[in-house]
Amino acid sequence: MERKKEIENKTRRFPASTDIYQDEEAVVLTMEMPGVSKENLHIKVDKDLLIIHGERKSEETEGHYKIREIRHGDFYQEYTLDDTIDRNKIEAAIKNGLVTLKLGVKESEKPRKITVHVK
Amino acid sequence: MAIVKWKNPKLYDPWADLRSLQNEINDLFNYDRMPGSTGLFDRSVTPAIDFVEGENDYTVKCELPGLEQKDIDVSIASNVLTIKGSKEDNREETKGKYYKKEIWSGSFQRTISLPATVDSEKISAQLKDGLLTITLPRKEETKPKQISVSVK
Repeated sequence: MERKKEIENKTRRFPASTDIYQDEEAVVLTMEMPGVSKENLHIKVDKDLLIIHGERKSEETEGHYKIREIRHGDFYQEYTLDDTIDRNKIEAAIKNGLVTLKLGVKESEKPRKITVHVK
Repeated sequence: MAIVKWKNPKLYDPWADLRSLQNEINDLFNYDRMPGSTGLFDRSVTPAIDFVEGENDYTVKCELPGLEQKDIDVSIASNVLTIKGSKEDNREETKGKYYKKEIWSGSFQRTISLPATVDSEKISAQLKDGLLTITLPRKEETKPKQISVSVK
């Protein structure tokens, strides 16, 4: 019986459309999460695991659905971070349902320029 | 008509897990994240919409993440609702590289013909967290009417 409840309470989760871009400074994740407000966006770093959870209050509008294209449920995605990411340099922002997550690359991993001296 | 055994929904169904797994696998194939570029307009995809016919009004919901008010144009002519707009490509940098590119950009247009005329004066549109909600109140004469039956 408990198990049945668990199934019922489990909301549908699916990954959001994502762009992943990397340059020398950071890895930038851009995610489309329409309907997710700042309060409902949960980003967690657990050791090597980056968990992005955009909670959506599934508001069912009363009436007869003639067109239903919007998927109902939460946005959920997990990523594994490697050692090149500085855990203290993670920034997140949300604007108009667009999440920007900046994962800073460790100083030691950045490419360095070595100047050549001519003697 | 076939006789189907009535199922008590309150009872625990041992196949529920398996069925939900099946649904999830089917969803993987049905969910079009990267639709092809077909159609008349200069676009690759159209935003997802919901259209709900309520008792007093029609509600249109549209997923427009990353768009601002100025990017969206909603218009109505007789009983055809048009949502137009363009989604800017926000990448500027070219130094780095993309590992994943699932977000589409470009212009889009969606046209919905409403089942009945609406009160065009009272239409309201609201954009919140990338979700556009348009409420179109139905005209008094098109609302479903309750007719009371009197017994003599």
